[in-house]
Amino acid sequence: MEALSPFELEIARLLVETLHLEDIQPEDIKPEEPLFGEGLGLDSIDALELALAISKTYGFQLRSDDNQNRRVFASLRALSQHIAQNRAI
Amino acid sequence: MSGDWARLPERGNLLALRLIRWIALQVGRPVGRALLYPITLYFLATAAEARRGSRLYLRRALGRQPDWRDLFRHIHCFAATILDRVYFLTGGLDRFEIEIFGGQRILDQVASGQGCLLLGSHLGSFEALRVIGVNLRHLPIRILMNVEHNQAITGLLEALNPDLAGTVIPVSGPDTLLRVQESMEQGFLVGALGDRVVPGEKTVSCQFFGQEAAFPAGPLLLAALAECPVILFFGLYRGGNRYDVHFETLAERIVLEPRRRQEQIAGWVQRYADRLEHYARLAPYNWFNFYDYWREEAG
Repeated sequence: MEALSPFELEIARLLVETLHLEDIQPEDIKPEEPLFGEGLGLDSIDALELALAISKTYGFQLRSDDNQNRRVFASLRALSQHIAQNRAI
Repeated sequence: MSGDWARLPERGNLLALRLIRWIALQVGRPVGRALLYPITLYFLATAAEARRGSRLYLRRALGRQPDWRDLFRHIHCFAATILDRVYFLTGGLDRFEIEIFGGQRILDQVASGQGCLLLGSHLGSFEALRVIGVNLRHLPIRILMNVEHNQAITGLLEALNPDLAGTVIPVSGPDTLLRVQESMEQGFLVGALGDRVVPGEKTVSCQFFGQEAAFPAGPLLLAALAECPVILFFGLYRGGNRYDVHFETLAERIVLEPRRRQEQIAGWVQRYADRLEHYARLAPYNWFNFYDYWREEAG
């Protein structure tokens, strides 16, 4: 199984903690697996909660008018890359 | 309002919708209302699933075994509001007597400049509210709507009022609620319906007419995250040309403690279900969820 990069693991922890995913270990999340729908099975409330947590932790806001959102929310890897590129903190 | 049609057989559904729209636009309301009787009869005879859903609901709401007259009245009430919807959308508000209860709360909310969640249901019609709010009073309202699932409604009805169509936030993808939250931050009142479960979204089990039913947790979780008030609305059809629109505050703010989050959100959704039951008792035939709401026959 492919290992998570340290930053991906950090985001995986944020994800598990923010969304109270009690039965999931951060290191078990597959980096390319879809976060929404199938895969981790998150819904749009989770997306909002995650966006608010990212803004608090990394100092930048995900905006709904960003047409890359579908790609950004596609997997842990895509999300981590997006945060790494845009973080202010 | 719209999903009911999606649950009826696609063909009859589109046909009836087209027919009612045509009648409304071509022959006027009195003749249109007369034609609702054969249309209702047709539906009563052909839409078995809707009939079953109606029976299961009416048994609880009326507290007795419904007969065919109750079912007829139920479907007729729905058809009448669809017909009127066309008039609302095309600006024919004058012909209606619309009484608004608790409207000051909405005006106060707008004056405050703060956004809020306007939470409704498939009890009655939201169209009067939407048209008065957006077209007549120019209030900052946006409506969260599942456009993809309701293409027939969107194409046939929403197209009648482009101004209104522009206020719709379509449900699409994970960033939908981000958009809703941004709208609330900008001071918009965002309307959504809270009584239908979408597969894959979080639900809470509530007591509803004395039996457990699943309700979506999403709308009130959203309000908690956005730290905004929740105002309930119910647009009840009272027969003839009368509509009553009720507004009431469900919560000024929903605060969830991390450890008691589950239990607290369940409590709030139950309050919503209680108010929905209250208004459903006031206007039992306004219930427009024509399916097995309690999943009694799901096994």
